[in-house]
Amino acid sequence: MVSPDWLALAPHGILGLTAMVLLLYDMIDPDSRNRLALASIATVGSLAALAASAWLLAVGVGPSESVSLFDGQLVVDGVALFFSVVFTTVAALVTVASYDYLADHSYQAEYYSLVVLATTGMVVLASANSLATAFVSLELVSLPSYALVAFLKTNRGSVEAGTKYFLIGALSSAVFVYGISLVYAVAGSLHFETLAAFFAEQGIEQAGVFGLGIVMIVGGVAFKTASVPFHFWAPEAYEGAPAPISGFLSSASKAAGFVLAFRAFNVAFSLDIAAVSGAIDWALLFQILAVVTMIVGNFAAAVQERVKRMLAYSSVGHAGYVLIGLAAITSGGAGGNSIVMGAAMMHLLVYGVMNTGAFLFVGMAEYWGVGRRFEDYNGLSKQAPMACVAMAIFMFSLAGLPPFGGFFSKYVLFLGAIQAGFWWLAAIGAVTSALSLYYYSRVVKAIWIEDPSADFRLRGRPVGLYAAVMLAGVLTVALLPAFGVGIEAAYDAASVLFA
Amino acid sequence: MATIGEIAPAIALLPLASFAVALASVVFAPRLLQKGGAIPGILATAGSLVLSVWAFVHVGGGEPIEQELLAWAAAPDSFELTLGVLIDPLAALMLVIVSLVAFLVHVFSLGYMNAEGETGLHRYYAELGLFTFSMLFFVMADNILMAFMFFELVGLCSFLLIGFWFREEAPASAAKKAFLVTRFGDYFFLVGVVGIFAAFGTGRFVGSEGFPHLAEEAIAEGHEILGMSPETGVMVLGLLVLGGVIGKSAQFPLHTWLPDAMEGPTTVSALIHAATMVAAGVYLVARMFGFYALSPTLLAIIALVGGFTALFAATMGVVKDEIKQVLAYSTISQYGYMMLGLGAGGYVAGTFHLMNHAFFKALLFLGAGSVIIATHHTHDMWKMGGLKEKLPVTYYTFLAGSLALAGIVPFSGFWSKDEILYESIVHGLGTDGGLGVLLLLAFAFGLLAVFFTGFYTFRMVALTFHGEPRTEVAEDAHGVGWSVKLPLIVLGVLATVAGLVNMAPLDVEYLHSWLDTTEEAGLLTSAHHYEEVLHDVAHVEAATLTPIATAAVSLGLALAGALAAWRLYGSDPQPHTDRLGSIKELVGNNYYQDEYQVWLAEGVTLPLSRAADTFDQVVVDGVVDGVSSVSLFSGRRIRRIQSGIVSNYVALLTAGLVVLLVTFAFMGGWF
Repeated sequence: MVSPDWLALAPHGILGLTAMVLLLYDMIDPDSRNRLALASIATVGSLAALAASAWLLAVGVGPSESVSLFDGQLVVDGVALFFSVVFTTVAALVTVASYDYLADHSYQAEYYSLVVLATTGMVVLASANSLATAFVSLELVSLPSYALVAFLKTNRGSVEAGTKYFLIGALSSAVFVYGISLVYAVAGSLHFETLAAFFAEQGIEQAGVFGLGIVMIVGGVAFKTASVPFHFWAPEAYEGAPAPISGFLSSASKAAGFVLAFRAFNVAFSLDIAAVSGAIDWALLFQILAVVTMIVGNFAAAVQERVKRMLAYSSVGHAGYVLIGLAAITSGGAGGNSIVMGAAMMHLLVYGVMNTGAFLFVGMAEYWGVGRRFEDYNGLSKQAPMACVAMAIFMFSLAGLPPFGGFFSKYVLFLGAIQAGFWWLAAIGAVTSALSLYYYSRVVKAIWIEDPSADFRLRGRPVGLYAAVMLAGVLTVALLPAFGVGIEAAYDAASVLFA
Repeated sequence: MATIGEIAPAIALLPLASFAVALASVVFAPRLLQKGGAIPGILATAGSLVLSVWAFVHVGGGEPIEQELLAWAAAPDSFELTLGVLIDPLAALMLVIVSLVAFLVHVFSLGYMNAEGETGLHRYYAELGLFTFSMLFFVMADNILMAFMFFELVGLCSFLLIGFWFREEAPASAAKKAFLVTRFGDYFFLVGVVGIFAAFGTGRFVGSEGFPHLAEEAIAEGHEILGMSPETGVMVLGLLVLGGVIGKSAQFPLHTWLPDAMEGPTTVSALIHAATMVAAGVYLVARMFGFYALSPTLLAIIALVGGFTALFAATMGVVKDEIKQVLAYSTISQYGYMMLGLGAGGYVAGTFHLMNHAFFKALLFLGAGSVIIATHHTHDMWKMGGLKEKLPVTYYTFLAGSLALAGIVPFSGFWSKDEILYESIVHGLGTDGGLGVLLLLAFAFGLLAVFFTGFYTFRMVALTFHGEPRTEVAEDAHGVGWSVKLPLIVLGVLATVAGLVNMAPLDVEYLHSWLDTTEEAGLLTSAHHYEEVLHDVAHVEAATLTPIATAAVSLGLALAGALAAWRLYGSDPQPHTDRLGSIKELVGNNYYQDEYQVWLAEGVTLPLSRAADTFDQVVVDGVVDGVSSVSLFSGRRIRRIQSGIVSNYVALLTAGLVVLLVTFAFMGGWF
């Protein structure tokens, strides 16, 4: 337990402060070229926030007791801290990798501060306990993201992607906030627990308005998690953005969307009330989204010619797997629910590391200027064997092959779905995973088996990128022995939501 | 000072070390090891022999050796897979036999392989070491899965050694045949192992936690086994394991590999037939006799297969021209006797014959090996003759082995074979129902086979050693060295006197009481316990009959066979087989066993496999290819949605939202 209570906000505070420090640094020394200082501040801030989250978990915030702050607007519990670990880990990897990636760019301080601000938004979102804080923090995640995607100002692709992302994002935010207003119209409150108490007491009288609100809130979540049909921005944004930002968005930002959904739908609009009263069975809604997302994401990824775009679609597909964590929720099945949601959280953690690593490898390829297509990667292992080992690990782990972390997280997820009675969700997941092996192994084949098409020399060894890729690789492997610990923490955290 | 209880695994690990040394020397220092790697092998097997004798003495003190080596897989709440050592009286006896025969075979190899200038000796000794290691661990296995693993290793080593001269066509093909035929039986064995684990949750052979005892309890209490009545469950599992036994111990109808296996070096044949490969099958039945004794049906099948094989193989041995072929069929026939003994409830009798046979068959093969090198690699008995004077040591020891094989008093084979026949007739007469009748039938087979055994044995002795030399090679046969003579003398003595340990008709039963030695330790493997199980569960009863009677009849038949052979082939032998007419054709072709098995493979299995292959190629692959084409096609379609035009995206997004809204509005009845 922590005392005073506000210490539980250490991760949030540290990240916010780090962003301020970065801006202050920029104020004192505008147009700074000191990349090392900027990247270090951002990385140290992220790691400090990571350490703070871990410390809070260690002293028992989360599984045993949650801390409620600002009149219940924010809550720090196991779920919030588990996701804080995911966000800060990814942020640290991304800031380390950006050190090299941004070598020749200006506006570096802005870049790092935007990354840290977005991370702050994610951490706040993970703790958000009312629809109002949720919306504000969601915007705090989104707005820096639009700017970051368009960061390569002279690159048409980057700017175009940023614009599209912003337009779709604006639309989705509008849908989301409208949904919130409808729920407020029904219940007269935005606070999750108050909503839950209200529905439990009064029942749902205006089922139509409520249902409309719920579907629209799902729309807002689906945008953030890049779930079909709100995914259209994702392939373009991920492809156009700087590769570290693609990794950041597709891992951390996606997880942020999920944490909002996990909390809102299980605390405020619990299925026991929403579905039983006949207003709306949102589990069915998530089942539809999960199936469509798994299928569209994986099938589209299979026919891509460019590696980064393939990864973009694969990240859409992975959103589909995580959606199983919501789709397999059953009314009254508390134990099974926390298992399947815990598995989804664990998948987000494993996925966060391996997917970021994969995008960072692409970033390294961009840094070397080897081209974007599968063929351009031919024979890379001859030049950069260690990084290619890591990439092969990412690919096989993403595909869910044993003995990597991705296998176990998918395994417990599908197993949880089967135990909850949704064997067909698990079956679609397994079939699409099999398909995913096809396109992931194309990368491995290119870098390891094919001969280099042209005689090229890679310029330099980008230390930061290398370190980040290797670190992600080590983490992907290390999550194997640590899997038991992680999944237990995830189960414990998830069970709080169903208490 | 370590006790034997602690270092028991070394019995098997020593030959493994010699295998490693021989292998390493090939790779790193081919010239380092003199004699092609024989010395480490001889030392290792000598060490194994010493340790085995030590273990034997230790077990004789009434305390079995049990040691768990490794739990290599454990599933919580279900079962563990372990490697462990168990040395009870049966295993101790077998360990001494195996290590002794392996040691003598190693020594003999100096004369048979080294002196004859064979190449590839490192490989030979390495494989011999691995073979001995596998068999010793098989003997010591404390659970059926471990037994299966080493059973398979034994099979692999046989394959390697039978095909030692793999550059020639015949040995390579014989090795493949031995491997495939025994593997066919092993499939059943493997299924049986899995079934035993599934039914009892353990593969332990002994003790109150062992699967034979659990099965006994299941029958007593009427619990189902794998969804079947306990009697049926035990029968099915026992039959599955028996598949492996029939393959390895070359029982009808899976005996066809064994005569071909004569293509390997004669030393290897001695090892395979006397102490390792073929013995493994019968040993397994003895090892889990507590399980087989539970089911009258299983006992009847074992006895019948054994008795039939004994007679069937003996008739084929009568017409063979090559010395090793005669011995090969005699092996099949003798293992048939052991099966008959075990099936008739004669646990002691079967074990007794296993021991005696190990000595005299090793002796006969090594004797044959001695003849073969003396006659410059002649195998055909018609090209020999008159070798008695040239090879006196070989002759007298071979004669001792032959007398034991034929079952002439007082040589070892007489006592054990007689006990087997006695057990089968008294249990046949005493037991009610089908089991009794079938045991009597099996007894009749076994008794008849005694005559043929005597005949082919002395036909072989007469053709090889007596009369005048019939060819030049027989004329200028040369003597053999000490490394050949020494093993022959040791085995010759054993073949003569080993039978004296259990002269049942004279009430001398040392072996019987040996197998009861550790009864107090609760292993439930004593002969006494088995007798109780046979009586209480399988309802096997013994009639009263004086053992002298069967002894006299079987001795009479054996002598009759021997004398008949002597008259026909004793001096100036002629090929009398032509007089048999069409029977000669039938027997000479081994009753067309190979032909029908080849037909089964080519006429039935191959078309079936082709059909399966076609199904796989067309239907399965077609579906798989179709799936991938459909996937890529639909992937391209889906990709086309991503047009790059942001207003399209907005339209699709909104449309998707509207579809969802309308769907749920209808379902939720919002209007």
